[in-house]
Amino acid sequence: MGFNLRGLAFKQSMMILAAITVVFGLIFGITSHKTQNMLNKITTENGEETSRANVNYIDKLFNSGKLVGDDIAETLGKSKMTKAELDTFLLHSLTNARTLIPQIVAVVLAYEPGMGPETPKGEFMRLARFSENEIRLITGANYQDKEWYYSTREGKTSRWQEPFIGEFVPEPIAVYTVPIFQKDKDGKDVLAGVLAVDMSTDFLKDEIATIPVSNSGYALITSAKNVAVAYPKSIAQGKANKEIVVREIRGKSSIPFARAAKDTSGLFLGTVAGGEESAIYYTTIHSNNWTFMVVWPIQKYLEDQKSMGKLFLVLSLGAYGFLLVVILLISFRVARPLRNLAVAAKKLGGGNFDVDIPKVTGHDEVAEFALAFSNMRSSLVENLEKQKDMKRIERELDLARNIQRSMLPGKERDENSEDDRHELAPFLLPAKEVGGDFYDFFKIDNDHLCVVIGDVSGKGVPAALFMMVSRILMRTMLKNLKSIVEAFNKTNYALAKRNDLMMFVTVWAGIIDLRTGRVEFASAGHNPPAVRHSDGSVEFIPSRSELVMAAMEDTVYNQQTYDLKKGDTLFLYTDGVTEATNGKDELFGNDRLLEALREGGNQNTADTCAQVKKEIDGFVRDVPQFDDITMLAVKFNGTDEPVWERYEKTINVAETDKGALKSFVQDILTPMDGAKKMQMQDAWERYEKIVDVIPENQDVLTAFVEGILAPMEGSMKSQMQINIAIDEIYSNIVKFSGATEVTLVVEIRKATLSARLTFIDNGKPYDPIKQADPDVTLPIEEREIGGLGIFIVKKTMDSVCYRRNGDKNELAITKNL
Amino acid sequence: MQITKTVENDNLTLSLEGRLDTLTAPQLEAEVNGKLDGVKTLIFDFQNLAYVSSAGLRILFMAQKIMNKQGKMIVRNANADIKDIFTVTGFSNILTLE
Repeated sequence: MGFNLRGLAFKQSMMILAAITVVFGLIFGITSHKTQNMLNKITTENGEETSRANVNYIDKLFNSGKLVGDDIAETLGKSKMTKAELDTFLLHSLTNARTLIPQIVAVVLAYEPGMGPETPKGEFMRLARFSENEIRLITGANYQDKEWYYSTREGKTSRWQEPFIGEFVPEPIAVYTVPIFQKDKDGKDVLAGVLAVDMSTDFLKDEIATIPVSNSGYALITSAKNVAVAYPKSIAQGKANKEIVVREIRGKSSIPFARAAKDTSGLFLGTVAGGEESAIYYTTIHSNNWTFMVVWPIQKYLEDQKSMGKLFLVLSLGAYGFLLVVILLISFRVARPLRNLAVAAKKLGGGNFDVDIPKVTGHDEVAEFALAFSNMRSSLVENLEKQKDMKRIERELDLARNIQRSMLPGKERDENSEDDRHELAPFLLPAKEVGGDFYDFFKIDNDHLCVVIGDVSGKGVPAALFMMVSRILMRTMLKNLKSIVEAFNKTNYALAKRNDLMMFVTVWAGIIDLRTGRVEFASAGHNPPAVRHSDGSVEFIPSRSELVMAAMEDTVYNQQTYDLKKGDTLFLYTDGVTEATNGKDELFGNDRLLEALREGGNQNTADTCAQVKKEIDGFVRDVPQFDDITMLAVKFNGTDEPVWERYEKTINVAETDKGALKSFVQDILTPMDGAKKMQMQDAWERYEKIVDVIPENQDVLTAFVEGILAPMEGSMKSQMQINIAIDEIYSNIVKFSGATEVTLVVEIRKATLSARLTFIDNGKPYDPIKQADPDVTLPIEEREIGGLGIFIVKKTMDSVCYRRNGDKNELAITKNL
Repeated sequence: MQITKTVENDNLTLSLEGRLDTLTAPQLEAEVNGKLDGVKTLIFDFQNLAYVSSAGLRILFMAQKIMNKQGKMIVRNANADIKDIFTVTGFSNILTLE
């Protein structure tokens, strides 16, 4: 699996890591800052603590020195002493001072030129100095350009000078200088000279060496001008005082430290004498404006801070790495199945429903998603199948409906039944589901119009199929038999004979004699039709309803009649009309139907049907149509001409034969019993011949059949074809069946010139129809001569049927002669 | 069924009268089977034949196969009904009808 830089896992990991980095950074920064502050505080406190006692001590010392100086200067300003007096005074002052402050090593007095004793014009400088356990008096000169002198003279205030190694005191000293003011003649203060008190600073070095400082630190004292005054020997290492400079580190560079620009105390990062980086605490020694510092080398100082930071860093990195692993694990745990699912989804989208859905175990969202996805696939497949089935079924039902509708004649022209004695219009509005209503109309001869309406029980394809069969049977029977009752009886028989589904059909059919308006009809359980008379009155015609068709095989229907008057409209309908239901579960009913017909007035038949439909629509409103609505309206226009039958005979007048004419007329006027004649013609005559199975008996059978068929005067050709058929079938029985006896049943029906021959033999079961037909197109070299006999029979006879009846073979052939 | 044989050089004419069916076909078979040696043209005259059944077709089929090797076979004067049978069974493609 490649690493997808744009993948969910990567993105998510990166974002979480970025967030964690920020958080860690913040924590680290804040902690560092806090630590720094805390350390600074601790260090400052530490520095303060270290400094306090020392600074106090130094302050005290220097303040005392200052007091001494101030006191001496004041005394000098008040009295003008002689040289000798001055010497004594200086000696006395130094001795006194030293008892107080042993660090005072000299007291120096320098007058302004001309102001000293015994020197009206020139300099006067005299000092008392302690050295090697004794005090000496020394005269000095050339002091006026010395810093300690002119700075005091110019400033006219006392001050601590920068420590230096004196001219007369060869050790580092701190010098306190005080201007000496004397009153002149006018009483004004006039600067007379400068007094200096020299204090040895060596003791500071000793002092500093003894100050204990934690963490390898040490103390340091610098002058007001930042010159190191006292420092541990380890720092010096042969360096001069001036080289021991304290610098403050500012970023990457450093500047000399100047306390004057800062607070009186604080902490900074710096170096001492170019040494290692250090944290330095400083505080002011107020008495002489010097600085006391405590220095900790940075390494030591930062040790805690760094170790803390390091610990934090290590912990952070550890946590970071751990989180990274966890995040990546989670991300890939999520991303991999998602990616697999995406691949599967793509395939699924392409129509591959057999695609493997990756299994994801667990109960998290991804697992749920995978499960849902898997379910979606199966539901999808299921639904698609269902939809396919539904669509197929719907299509087939549509097809069935279309076929059903197209089978019904739409216009009279289709049936060629138009004439001016009647007018007719059908109406069929199928319900959503294919149903079993049908109507039919056709002429069986020029003067007789047949109208049929029917309704098969149930709905759907079975009803539709049953309806088709019913309609075709009715039509065929009516056309052939030309008798309502016969057609009803035979259609019923045919339908009932094979009706395993126990369906039934209600039928109303009538034959209208267009010459007289007489309707011969029968009703198999169907609603009585209505009639609208030309005077506007309406009624149901008296129609006795008999058993529905297909219920019992041997139902016998009775013929009923009704006489249509000129201008009457016969209205046939199914229960889809009278049982149309509205929202209140009320039926349209007979009364509303009659009312609708009455309201329709004297309209044509199409409008009559439309009128009824309109009334139904107004009645049911938006309730969906449940049943087929079928109507057939026939208007009888009648004819003004009387009905005449016409007969013609030509006779020879010269040889008048009165008898011939008379018998002609008598023959016409003697009423014929048409029904009886029809019945005789309808009947099948049956003949039977039993023969032993020997070849020679073929002639016997042929002669037998010829004897029966000859009087029917069928065609020579069909006679010959029957003879061949007998030959083929009988010779087959002789050759193959092993039968000992053959019964030949010959049935003829003169009315239709039909003959049926049934060969019944007691041989082994043999169905010749099942034999494959020979290929008659092959050239002679490839032809087999077998199987031709039964093939000829199949080709020349109208039908060939075989059945095994008990231990007998029965082969029946029919032929129209 | 009656069969009339006419031999003219290597032409053999068999005139059939009556029905050529299962019962009469053996007669014709006897006339044809093994008796066509040297015959170049075999002519069946069906002028007076009423019909032919499949048994008869079988003999015609045999004869045609033999004559295909040694000459030709012609069926003459078959009536419409017999021609129908020939057509139905595909024999019209095999036989030479005149």
